[in-house]
Amino acid sequence: MLFFRGRKKRRVCVVGLDGVPFGLLKRLAEESVMPRTAAIIREGGLRQMRASLPPVSSVSWSCFMTGANPAEHGIFGFTDVSRDSYQLRFPTFADVAVPTFWDTLGERGRRCAVINQPATYPAREIPGALVSGFVALQLQKSVWPKTHLPALERMGYRIDVDSRKAREDADGLFDDLEATLKTRRMAAGYMWKQESWDYFQVVVTGTDRLHHFLWNAVDRPDDPRHQRAMDYYRRIDDFIGGLWDAFHKGRSADREGEGFMLLSDHGFGALRRDLRLNAWLHDNGYLEYVKDDPASVADIDPDRTRAFALDPGRIHINARERFAGGCVDAAEAPALREEIAAKLRALKFEGEDTVAHVFTREEAFHGPKQGLAADLVVISRAGFDLKGTTKGREIFAESHFQGMHTWDDAFLWTLLPAPESPDISEPAAAILEWLAK
Amino acid sequence: MPKGFTLWFTGLSGSGKSTLAERVRDVLLERGMKVEVLDGDEVRTNLSKGLGFSKEDRDTNIRRIGWVCHLLTRNDVVAISAAISPYKAIRDENRKLIGRFVEVYCECDLDTLKGRDPKGLYEKAFNGEIKNFTGVSDPYESPEKAEVVVNTASEDIDASVSKIIATLEQLSYIPATDGRGYSEDEEESIKQRLKDLGYI
Repeated sequence: MLFFRGRKKRRVCVVGLDGVPFGLLKRLAEESVMPRTAAIIREGGLRQMRASLPPVSSVSWSCFMTGANPAEHGIFGFTDVSRDSYQLRFPTFADVAVPTFWDTLGERGRRCAVINQPATYPAREIPGALVSGFVALQLQKSVWPKTHLPALERMGYRIDVDSRKAREDADGLFDDLEATLKTRRMAAGYMWKQESWDYFQVVVTGTDRLHHFLWNAVDRPDDPRHQRAMDYYRRIDDFIGGLWDAFHKGRSADREGEGFMLLSDHGFGALRRDLRLNAWLHDNGYLEYVKDDPASVADIDPDRTRAFALDPGRIHINARERFAGGCVDAAEAPALREEIAAKLRALKFEGEDTVAHVFTREEAFHGPKQGLAADLVVISRAGFDLKGTTKGREIFAESHFQGMHTWDDAFLWTLLPAPESPDISEPAAAILEWLAK
Repeated sequence: MPKGFTLWFTGLSGSGKSTLAERVRDVLLERGMKVEVLDGDEVRTNLSKGLGFSKEDRDTNIRRIGWVCHLLTRNDVVAISAAISPYKAIRDENRKLIGRFVEVYCECDLDTLKGRDPKGLYEKAFNGEIKNFTGVSDPYESPEKAEVVVNTASEDIDASVSKIIATLEQLSYIPATDGRGYSEDEEESIKQRLKDLGYI
């Protein structure tokens, strides 16, 4: 039903569902597991969306919150590599090099309440309130302003599930997911009332954790844990429905649903094998280590390594101009890059193609930090989870995970103007434009 | 690993290039680096003495500064250029020559510049007393892909300096010494979390 209300200040409410693919959301809505969501998306506006390159939460959510490409905001993965020592480093929220659209809203006198957005740790000042999400460690460093900390502590707010335990105790994971979702709802309810917001956002990250460990329970009706997985989605649907109701309760200025948005940051699919890129690079003579049991890319032999990989599918050429120990001359790099890309495109497992795309840095990234990006970004075919581990020499390995991230099947539901086939950096502009009126 | 690089400030007269260049120089000197600043006004009194403000002379001036920066950079010195350098093509030529090149665009609107105008140059330019004045009667081509953009009309000078230093750290041109990263313990915890989800 569409109707119009009085002239009130426009607001936006975004619900993020980490790692929920377009196809799954559509199916759960159609199968009445998510009836409230089904009613919302019935009006149209559901789109399949491309995640960031690579499709991991830290990069994708950074694209969403800045409306920018990784070569502009500077977040290329959960890890970066030191140009001097090849040691891994872990970017923080402070490494995001451009303003978020929350900052832009603040400049226009608007306020935001943002809960559990990944890649915002440690929390910094935003115009309003922020509770950081993954990889947040301590609640104390996850909350801005600190005045909200006591209330969150009192409600027993949980930043995330215990992924370490999840591996050993699948049933325990469901309890953990439910308990975490419960405190997320409490935090959302608290912020909804406490903050005088124009923009509200809450992200559910339990979906991603469930998919990593128990994708089969979500995807296969014959899986013994299927009903529990569906119950978890029913709870999420109820959460979305509650936010929808609260959002429209006598305050919305325009067409019903117009300021409401649902989205995921990447898709998910069944995992068949890990595809270890460093093992492949080693096998093909591009990479050598200084020891037999390398702990990370810091243990590569720089003189004999022409390329190495970081998670999940980022291949760096060990170029002299970029790395302290680089051994590849600038003139040789383009041909080497093309050679690696061509070989990867032809990589097969039991006769089956495993690589869907190999993007060059110039194809994937646009902006002043392009020089920091990987030379190649690989996107695999369904079932092959790209890894940057230096452990193991087997290229295709069994995994204890059941699910893997996918690139081109995140989803976006919005009634605001948006491209038919959007990229995750694009909703920001639509939100800013909507709130500018 | 080479230590030298060129920090190339560009922007209109009065936009804060020299001030920022000096502040950044001080930070880099404190961190033990060898730094040389080539200020536009100073260069015109020695290296480029005799050159005027025609496009040809401006290009020659900027090419000369670029050449000196190139020599300094390859000898592990941080070269900081603070000249208007109005033409994109010549800046890009220098970028190509030098390689380790970081462009800093000092953005500032004309109204603010007219308001500052410590030497009264804008007033004279608008009155037609100075010909070929960049931004008034001569073109200025803004960079499209500067590594750093600082808006000196709206930003605090400390914020601009921090932004430049942070970019140099991120590019690994200078070692990071700040509190932006995690402690060793935090890093271990994050590693573990990422491992638990199969991300590393």
